[in-house]
Amino acid sequence: MIQVSNLSFSYTRQPFISDMSFFVSSGEIFGFLGPSGAGKSTLQKVLIGMLTAYQGSAMVNGIECRHRTRRFYEDIGVDFEFSTMYEKLTAKENLQFFSSLYEKKTRPIDELLEMVGLEHDGDKRVADYSKGMKSRLNFIKALLHDPLLLCLDEPTSGLDPTNSRMMKNMILAERAKGKTILLTTHNMQDAAELCDRVAFIVNGKICALDSPHNLIMSKGAATVTYTWIDNGEHSASCPIDRLSDDEQLKRLIANNCLQSIHSSEPNLNDIFMDITGRTLL
Amino acid sequence: MRLGSLFLWDIRFQAKHGFYFLYAVLTVLYVAVLFAVPESWKEKTAAILIFSDPASMGLFFMGAIILLEKSQHTPCAFAVSPVCPMEYIIAEVSSLSAISLAAAVVLASAAGADNLHIVLLGTAISSMIFTLFGIIIATKISSLNQFILWTVPIEIVCFGPAILHLFKITPAWLRYYPVNVCMEMVSGGTPSAMGILIVMALLAILFILSKHCVLKMWSSTGGVKL
Repeated sequence: MIQVSNLSFSYTRQPFISDMSFFVSSGEIFGFLGPSGAGKSTLQKVLIGMLTAYQGSAMVNGIECRHRTRRFYEDIGVDFEFSTMYEKLTAKENLQFFSSLYEKKTRPIDELLEMVGLEHDGDKRVADYSKGMKSRLNFIKALLHDPLLLCLDEPTSGLDPTNSRMMKNMILAERAKGKTILLTTHNMQDAAELCDRVAFIVNGKICALDSPHNLIMSKGAATVTYTWIDNGEHSASCPIDRLSDDEQLKRLIANNCLQSIHSSEPNLNDIFMDITGRTLL
Repeated sequence: MRLGSLFLWDIRFQAKHGFYFLYAVLTVLYVAVLFAVPESWKEKTAAILIFSDPASMGLFFMGAIILLEKSQHTPCAFAVSPVCPMEYIIAEVSSLSAISLAAAVVLASAAGADNLHIVLLGTAISSMIFTLFGIIIATKISSLNQFILWTVPIEIVCFGPAILHLFKITPAWLRYYPVNVCMEMVSGGTPSAMGILIVMALLAILFILSKHCVLKMWSSTGGVKL
């Protein structure tokens, strides 16, 4: 679906994206992770044809992005981080308006509103919506024309846990239908849960690219930390794959002397910090 | 199909923002003015009223429309939709021209204009020119104050010569000045073929420039201060 080769882009004389190469297969959820200003949004803008003065190649759905025509957008849905709706129109009016811009048959508006729990708010003006409601409305706007490629920018930002869960389920449901999804996010938990593969982007370069599982496992196995009382509290740690070699732990278990026992595995954020030396804020 | 839809939604959008109500009220006021002036002044007064308001409303209203759209980030939505910049421009130009024509037909009729079809053609062409100027300026600015500042030179070079031309106090060569050609038509006069040709050339240039400006605006995602 997406093939990027030796992509470079610059707003000034300094390169902003340099020599990126990667591919995204059809039906894959691919995540761009990185701190603010790393080049994630610029990369997304290149892939959706908004920035065309790039070097190298960026092919989406068989079309070189710099040569895209307006028909290119019949198969691409973009959910920006901010609302892109007419505030004075109702949600339904907005969706009807944006539906009318596509040549292909669009999805039923009432069905989409129901999917995100806005079925009773369709006749409300968007200006009266909360941030979370706008976010959900923006998401279904990207689904209106049933696009092959969905570009989502922080889709769960501003959502409560219930709506965040619902949104994530909808993203997974779209993937199950064979849609390709590009996800730009700061949220490591979302990325680990949703993405088939993620790319860590820092200073316009891809520092690592793999599945969240492989990236986490590359850090090494999880560890088990346990505590016990023996003239005061003591603690010790042991890799989870070498537990049977830990004589002390075996003895404490046999004597029922353990105070606590916890396993801890590195998360994507740890891996990101490890690889890039930076946090995601 | 998409152009028709854009046009109808623009009309709906303008109605929601009270454009039609505003122009209904203004038209009633202007008709009252026309009834108040002496009979011999009516035709010229109607021409000035039509040219300076309904015909040129696009200059100011496009600023308001585009600034509002920028503040709501809708240009981003258009940027990733199949809409061509030219479709967007034609829809805006024709929907605002519809209001201009509706007001002009009432004012010209109230003034007893002889060549109503020429008056309306002049109004439509003027409306297109001013709306395109409005689009070009509005795409480049980010606040209402900037917009007001940028429209002043346009007003000076458009309204001054046109009103002087109406009273025939401009040099002969200025009859080919595009806004003077428009004013001639709005006052019911038949323009020369050369005048029409020059106006059409200006329209073509403005359409091309506005297409370029809209495309550039869609590519940038910044918001604006209102």
